[in-house]
Amino acid sequence: MAKKILTVDDDPDIIAFVKTVLEENGYIPMIAKNGEAGLAMVREEKPALVILDVLMPKQSGIRMYREMRYDKELKDIPVIVLSGIAKRTFLRSQEALTEFGDQPVPEPDAYIEKPVEPEELAEMIKKFVG
Amino acid sequence: MVDKRILLVDDEEAIIRVLTVSLKSDGYDVIPAYSGNEGLALYEQHMPPIVLTDIKMPGMDGLELLKRIKNANPDAEVIVITGHGDMDSAIEALRFGASDFINKPVRDEALSIALKRAHEKLEMKNQLRRYTNDLEHMCQIATEEVRRKSDFQDKLITSSNDAIVATDENGMIVTFNPGAEEIFGYSRLEVVRKMKFDDLYPEEIAEEFISGFRRKRDMKGGGWKEVIIINKNGKKVPVRFSGTLLYEKDSVIGSVGFFQDLREIKRLQQELVNSERLAAIGQTVARLAHYIKNILTGLKGGTYIVNIGLDKNDTDKLRTGWSMVQRNIGRISYLVMDLLTYSKEREPDYRDCYPNDIAEDVCELMEAKATENQIRLIRAFDPAIGELCMDPDAIHRCLLNFVSNAIDACLFDLELDKKWQVCVKTELFDDSAVKFVVSDNGGGMTDEVKGKLFTAFFSTKGGKGTGLGLLVTQKLVYEHGGKIDVTSEPGKGSTFTMTLPFRKKNADTAKH
Repeated sequence: MAKKILTVDDDPDIIAFVKTVLEENGYIPMIAKNGEAGLAMVREEKPALVILDVLMPKQSGIRMYREMRYDKELKDIPVIVLSGIAKRTFLRSQEALTEFGDQPVPEPDAYIEKPVEPEELAEMIKKFVG
Repeated sequence: MVDKRILLVDDEEAIIRVLTVSLKSDGYDVIPAYSGNEGLALYEQHMPPIVLTDIKMPGMDGLELLKRIKNANPDAEVIVITGHGDMDSAIEALRFGASDFINKPVRDEALSIALKRAHEKLEMKNQLRRYTNDLEHMCQIATEEVRRKSDFQDKLITSSNDAIVATDENGMIVTFNPGAEEIFGYSRLEVVRKMKFDDLYPEEIAEEFISGFRRKRDMKGGGWKEVIIINKNGKKVPVRFSGTLLYEKDSVIGSVGFFQDLREIKRLQQELVNSERLAAIGQTVARLAHYIKNILTGLKGGTYIVNIGLDKNDTDKLRTGWSMVQRNIGRISYLVMDLLTYSKEREPDYRDCYPNDIAEDVCELMEAKATENQIRLIRAFDPAIGELCMDPDAIHRCLLNFVSNAIDACLFDLELDKKWQVCVKTELFDDSAVKFVVSDNGGGMTDEVKGKLFTAFFSTKGGKGTGLGLLVTQKLVYEHGGKIDVTSEPGKGSTFTMTLPFRKKNADTAKH
């Protein structure tokens, strides 16, 4: 059975692109346009993988990633961060939240800085969900 | 203490004896000599202040002795004793500098009067000498003081880093310090007493001096100002200049000019400007490259989807991919337009228009995005605003920028359940301008962000903003003669206001 993969991004271009890559590689794409909607969908659908943007309206990818890692049921779902923001910046933001008293979280399973080639993204997905 | 020694010269022993007795009783210390030669020898030995000598003597006579003594000491008081009625000798003696003469036979009171007078003269001479000495001493002290002061001023002028050029009342240069040599390129020897100030100074300064000299009034300005000097080698030297006329009482006695070399400062300033410009260019290019990379991502994604659509004959995919390509072409167009507007001088294109209609148009454009994100778009247009002469395109672009920023501020608000709203308000202001106010209750801004709002390529929207929007808006507003205000509070929202003055309607102007 085809696996569900959730992409969370507010940029329609990225959504269309990732959706096509997923379809071409035989996965079922699911879409959320911000962190809040993304988190709700993860809880409901339990996808095999989440492809997550960082800068989004409403809840950002930084917050959504933490929420997933705190949640027992979600913490083992692999997350690929796909963002225009440098990995360095993402990790620093996570550290800052930890310093403010939140629980520390592990680094994301993979981090891809935009732009990404379709083959590269497909290979990365295959690595985590087969 | 008065020197009471007296040299008494006479070849007649008897007379010496009698006069000695008489002089001694008056308290004198008599040195007797019995010939002219002996008298001269004793004079040179003792140097008494007063000499009393007979004229008629064998060998060296009294006149000769007088001459010799006067030669040795012009201050000596020599009284001659002349034969009775021998006025010729007496006059001769006076000519040679005798102080007085007494006739033979020598009477005591005549002698004591002559001696008294001699003493008085001596005393006067002494006093005169003392005064002269004092005067000379004081003159020496004063000269020394003047020399010291002038030395000090000389050193001051010489060691000054600034150029100091002073002229006399005819404009002839009299002072030209090493600082001046450095700036003007002439040596002191080439200039002092050889050149006038107008040979050296740039025209604008020379003219001030000339009119100052002519009107005998000080030059206008007074303070420092920057001028360019052409030096000996024809090079331009930027300097700060200050000059003044020199007065003694009410008359002009010369002029002085001070020049500060600005070459080094100008060079450093230029370097600073260059390095700032390079840094700005570097930053600009980096941000621009980042933004263009985002557009490129969209274009690549679009072509990828179009290719799949072509391969599979899937029109849905084709449509999706093609619209991505089109959307990103649109983004490039906007970017290029913003860059052009930002970098080019632009005159507002004043036309008769209805500002409220433009605001309505902007609201309609943004309505869909607002509704999609549960943001209420409120219109509050002032009905008093009718048709006015303004630049409608500029208003449209600025307002669109404000409103789309306001919607983004709500979208990116960290709070999760707020009733977001964006209010677009127009208001007639002072019957001369229209105020456009766009306020939101989104995330607001920190002072740090607010401080960078109008910095080129500053954006809080990651790769999604060019960092040009507000900059372009500000430029359009300024070109329109208007102003732009921002208030904001983190967590509460922001308000952007632009006040644009309008012109009389073209239709109205045509009527008059």
